[in-house]
Amino acid sequence: MKNKKFVYFVLIPIFLHMLIFIVGPIIAGFGISMMDYNPLRDTNDFVGLANFKQLINDPVLMKALMNTLMFVGVTVVLNIAFSLMIAQLISIFKSNKIRGFFRMAFFLPCVAPLVASSVVWARSIYPTATGLANMMLKTIGVNPVNWLGDPNVLMWSIIVFTIWVDIGYNIILFSAGIDGIPTNFYEAAEMDGASAWHKFRFITLPLLGRTMTFVIIMTLISHFQMFAQFSVMVLKSGPQNSGLVLTSYVYKTAFELKNMGYASAIAVLLFAIIFVITLIQQKIQKVDWDY
Amino acid sequence: MMAKRKKIKPIYILLFVGLFLISLFMILPFFWMLSNSLKSTKEILLDPKHLIPVNFTISGYVKVLTKSPFFYWLRNSLFITITNTTVILLTSTIVGFVFSKFQFRFKKTLFLLVLATMMVPSHTSMIPGFLLINALGLYNTAGALIIPSFVNAFGIFLSKQACDDIPNELIEAARMEGASNWNIYTRIVIPLIRPTIGALTIFTFLNYWNDYLNPLIMINDIKKMTLPLALSYFSSQHTADLSATMAASALIMLPVIAVFVLFQKQFIKGIATTGMK
Repeated sequence: MKNKKFVYFVLIPIFLHMLIFIVGPIIAGFGISMMDYNPLRDTNDFVGLANFKQLINDPVLMKALMNTLMFVGVTVVLNIAFSLMIAQLISIFKSNKIRGFFRMAFFLPCVAPLVASSVVWARSIYPTATGLANMMLKTIGVNPVNWLGDPNVLMWSIIVFTIWVDIGYNIILFSAGIDGIPTNFYEAAEMDGASAWHKFRFITLPLLGRTMTFVIIMTLISHFQMFAQFSVMVLKSGPQNSGLVLTSYVYKTAFELKNMGYASAIAVLLFAIIFVITLIQQKIQKVDWDY
Repeated sequence: MMAKRKKIKPIYILLFVGLFLISLFMILPFFWMLSNSLKSTKEILLDPKHLIPVNFTISGYVKVLTKSPFFYWLRNSLFITITNTTVILLTSTIVGFVFSKFQFRFKKTLFLLVLATMMVPSHTSMIPGFLLINALGLYNTAGALIIPSFVNAFGIFLSKQACDDIPNELIEAARMEGASNWNIYTRIVIPLIRPTIGALTIFTFLNYWNDYLNPLIMINDIKKMTLPLALSYFSSQHTADLSATMAASALIMLPVIAVFVLFQKQFIKGIATTGMK
């Protein structure tokens, strides 16, 4: 009896709060995606799937979707390749001091506020005339690049920035995974005369399975939702919408154009993408990875 | 043994130098930010190539601290972050305890509901969230950034995991002795899940300290902004004043970086064990 009271006492306010501030808005988000909703108007009409039909015929949405897929695809692949390589290299050192130093250096950009890092890169690294990037290129004789103004370069500049910002997380996760592999596997391989590459290819990589799935899925999900760097580094939507991604398109449509119905439809698309990734994760996680 | 060691050493040194150069690249943007924040805007524009300022000046910092409501922003950020972290720690641990150590109807369904909310991107619920805050009259107040954040699904999930490791016998024994559930929570559960609480504190704190999207849609008034939103506002207002913009960036970053360097072991352990972001 006492226990029942305690459970109710804890859970009722918590779930009421969740219902109002978390579950409610999620459901309402789907509802608004089927409305022609402008907060400045008194009445807003139900339009069924009209917003979704508009999505299919919207060239700007297509551009934003393609930009997002390109950004996520390239960044996640490079991020995982680099972070796995760096984690493996760090793990070769046995000294905890050396490991700690490198992990700290690579993790530093992860803790710094993303907005502040974006401002620093946009205002003092990427500017064409005074930026650090072009000055470094100049010393090796390369012509200056218009990092944030050239539609063919803009997304690559943000990709480089995002890898710099986010690589530390995965280095830590891969390091933990590598440290969790029993050392006798490596000792046995060494006795058979395996090279460093073979040890990586045939021991580390296969035994890292569970960490690898987790890292790939989490990185994918978080990169689809990246917003701050696009908001800070991309002026308007960039030349020819070259810097527009789904998150920034949702924001602009909802809060600059006040077209919240259509914005919600774009947000539902974003949700669907992440939902599919999560489903894939659920499927993969059922496989037994134990060794 | 000795022979083997000698053979490996040059490779180690090469590797160390290689990794060290890459980590310099990681730190370089911070160094460049500090360097530019200590130059005058004139020097940045006319003679930008020096890594160390030719003429040191703190005029950028003076400008940020005196010509902008920086201390309002700092106060707002501190207030919102500390409140949210405290409340989330309390709600997460107690709900995690309930889900882990009590039997009740719909337990599984309710827990799945908690987990399901984690899957939804913030951009999907942000528009109704904004309309709700507006309807409650909280738009442009600190409450808009505090009240919706009382419950955190990931915090509940982590706390439940941690509570699952506490032996049931321990809880039963305490009950036999006549301890109330509240006493069990404060005297047994909290001390035993301290590592999880540590990790959760760090990440909740960082999460709200660095949050940009919510302040961006909920706050309009300059004096009510939090630091990240204020920085993006400040840099768009003072596009010409690079020195002050870098000084403002440095002022926002340095506290976080200082805390990180102090607690780096806990940070790194926290991510490695929870996978938290």
